[in-house]
Amino acid sequence: MTGVREVSAGWVPVAAALLLALAAAGASLDGALAARAVGRPWASGAGVPWVETARLLRQRGRTTLAADRLLWRIGCAGLVVAALLMVAVVPLGTWTVSDLAVGVVWFNAMDVTVWALVWLAGWGSNSAYGLVGSYRFLGQALSHELPLMFALTAPAVAAGSLRLGDVVAAQRGLWFVVWMPVAFLVFCAAVLAFSVWGPFDAAVSRAIGGGALTEASGMDRLLFLTGRWALLTAGAAFGAAAFLGGGNGPLLPGWLWQLVKTGALLAGFVLLRRRLPTVRPDRLPTAAWLGALPLVLLQVLVVSVVVVVRS
Amino acid sequence: MDLSPRLARAATRRVSVLIVEVPGWEFIRCAVQQELRTRGWREATSPADADALAVCGRSGADLGRCIALVWQQLPGPRAQTHVTVPTAVGAALDQVLADLLDDDRQRADADDGDMDDGDMDDGGMDMPMPGGIPLAGEGPDRDGLDLDELHVPLGPILPAWPAGLVLQCTLQGDLVTAAQAHVLAGEPPPSGVGLVHGSPADRLDRAARLLMVAGWEEAATAAARTRDRLLFSGGPDEVRPEVERLAGRVRRSRMLRWSFADVPGVRDRLLGWLQEARDALAGKPTPVAGTSLDSLGELVVGRELGAARLLVAAADVDVAGLVRSGADLS
Repeated sequence: MTGVREVSAGWVPVAAALLLALAAAGASLDGALAARAVGRPWASGAGVPWVETARLLRQRGRTTLAADRLLWRIGCAGLVVAALLMVAVVPLGTWTVSDLAVGVVWFNAMDVTVWALVWLAGWGSNSAYGLVGSYRFLGQALSHELPLMFALTAPAVAAGSLRLGDVVAAQRGLWFVVWMPVAFLVFCAAVLAFSVWGPFDAAVSRAIGGGALTEASGMDRLLFLTGRWALLTAGAAFGAAAFLGGGNGPLLPGWLWQLVKTGALLAGFVLLRRRLPTVRPDRLPTAAWLGALPLVLLQVLVVSVVVVVRS
Repeated sequence: MDLSPRLARAATRRVSVLIVEVPGWEFIRCAVQQELRTRGWREATSPADADALAVCGRSGADLGRCIALVWQQLPGPRAQTHVTVPTAVGAALDQVLADLLDDDRQRADADDGDMDDGDMDDGGMDMPMPGGIPLAGEGPDRDGLDLDELHVPLGPILPAWPAGLVLQCTLQGDLVTAAQAHVLAGEPPPSGVGLVHGSPADRLDRAARLLMVAGWEEAATAAARTRDRLLFSGGPDEVRPEVERLAGRVRRSRMLRWSFADVPGVRDRLLGWLQEARDALAGKPTPVAGTSLDSLGELVVGRELGAARLLVAAADVDVAGLVRSGADLS
C-alpha cells in the first residue's frame, strides 16, 4: 500500500491556501530578480505579488465593444480552478485531498482544460491581439500536449499505477528523474508551456500588447495572472511528486520534502525565464514533433523494458 | 481602521505607465524609462494594463486623436502627463502619483467615463454589425481559398514600436497579406530632445527594442540601462564593457539563434547594432545605411505577425530624421 490517506473535505481550503502561498513566493522571487535587473535592491521587488494584487483590486474592470463577457470571465477565472484541481491529486507527505486511482490522467485532463480557458480569455475580449494571442496558445498546445502525455506515461509505467501515491511510493529507492531524465525535461517544458510562461509565453507577448491579456483589467487580469502562477506551481508540485520522489527523503518529514522540492522546481522555472528569449511559435512544432516526441517515446520504451526485465 | 488609503498606497507602489513617444523626442522617452526603473514602476503592455499615460513630446493632430482614443481605454484609476523637457520628468511622475491617489478626482473621472460608452447603433444596415463594428471581409489566401481578412493598424501606440509609425495591415489569421506604412508626426521637435541616428545611444535603443520584441526582457533591460547610463551619467569608456558583455551574451544565446533562424537578418542586425555601438564608443567611424519607410510594407507582407514585429524592430528606419527633414510621411 502507498501509505497515503485522503484528508477530509475541510482541508481543501488549506490545500488551496498552500498552493497560492507557494505561487506568491514564486512571484516574489520573480519580482526580486526583476528589481535586481533594473539595479534596485532585491527586497524592493519581493513585494510585487501584494502590490500588484492591490493595484488590480483597486482598478476598475473595463470591457470592450461586443465582448463576450461570460466566456471572457470564464477564461480568466478558470485558470486558478484548473490549477487547484491539479494539486488535488498530489500527495503532501501522507496526506492527499483525493487519492484518485487515475491521478496522472486527471492532471493531464486538467491541463487540457487550459487550452479552452486561455483561448476563451483571448477570444471573449473581441480584440485582434487577444485573438492572435489565444490562437498562438492553441498552436503551441498542439506541440506541447502529446510530448507531455508520453512524459507522464513514463512514471506511471514504472510504478505500474496511475495513482500518484503509488508513483511516489515506487520512488523509495531511486527517484524517477535519475533513470527517466528525458521524460522529466519534457514534462518541465510542457509545464512552462501550459502555464504560458517563458520561453513559451508568445501567447501573452509584449510584442502583441499582451496577447490574450491585452484587454483584461482589474479582477479579470488579477485572476488570469494568479491562475498562471498557480498553474506553474501546480506543475512544479506534480513534477516533484512524479519525478523527484515526492515526500521521500532523509531526516525531514514527507510533507516538508514535498514542499521543498516543489519550491526548488518552481524557483528553477522562474530563473529559467529570465535567461531565455521567447521561442517563436513557428519554430516550436518542428522541435516538438521531430525532437521531443521521438525522444520521449524512446524514454517510455526504455522504462517499459526495464520494468519487464525487473519483474 | 480605514482600508482604502492603505490599499491605494500599496496599489501605487508599482505604477504601470503606457509611454507614448512623439517621433523625434526619443531623449524624453529614455528619461521617462530611466525614471520608471529608478522608482520601481513599470511599462504597460496595453491601455488596459496601464494606470497612467505618459506622452513624450508635443503631438500633432492625428497622433493626438490616437492618444485621446487610448486614454479612453485606460480602466482607471488613471492619470496622464505630457513631458516635453527632460528635467521635468520627475515632477511629472510625482503629479501622476498624486492624481492616482486623489480619490475625489478619480471618482469624478469614473462618473464622466460611464457616459461616453460608444455608439452601439448599427445604423439599420443590411450587413450585421455587432457593436457597430463591420464584420471581417473575405479575400483569397495564399492557397487560393477564400479566407476572412481583417484590417488592423499596427501602431502608433504599441510597446517596443517605432514612435509614430503606423503599419496599416490586412491580416488573414495572423498572416500579414498587405501592409502600408505611414508616420503620424508631431510638431518639429526642438534640438536636444532626440537621439542622433547611428549614435551609440541610438544603436543601443534599437537593440533594446528588438530584444523586447524577442521576449528577452532581461537583455532588453540591460541594453536600455546601458543606453541611459550613456545618455545621463557615464562616459563612453565606462559604458563600453557593458556593451561588450551584452553583445557576448546575445551572440552566445543558442535559443535566439535557433528561434530567429527563419527570419533572416534579424539576429545579424541586432549583433550589428551592438558592434556599431562598440565601434562608435571606441571612436571608430560607423557608416549608417538605414531603411526607407516605403520598404517596410514589402518587408512584412507574407509574414506571420510575430515575424513582422521582429522585422519592423530590426529595420533601421530613421522616423525622427524623416520628421525633421519635413518629408512626405503619408
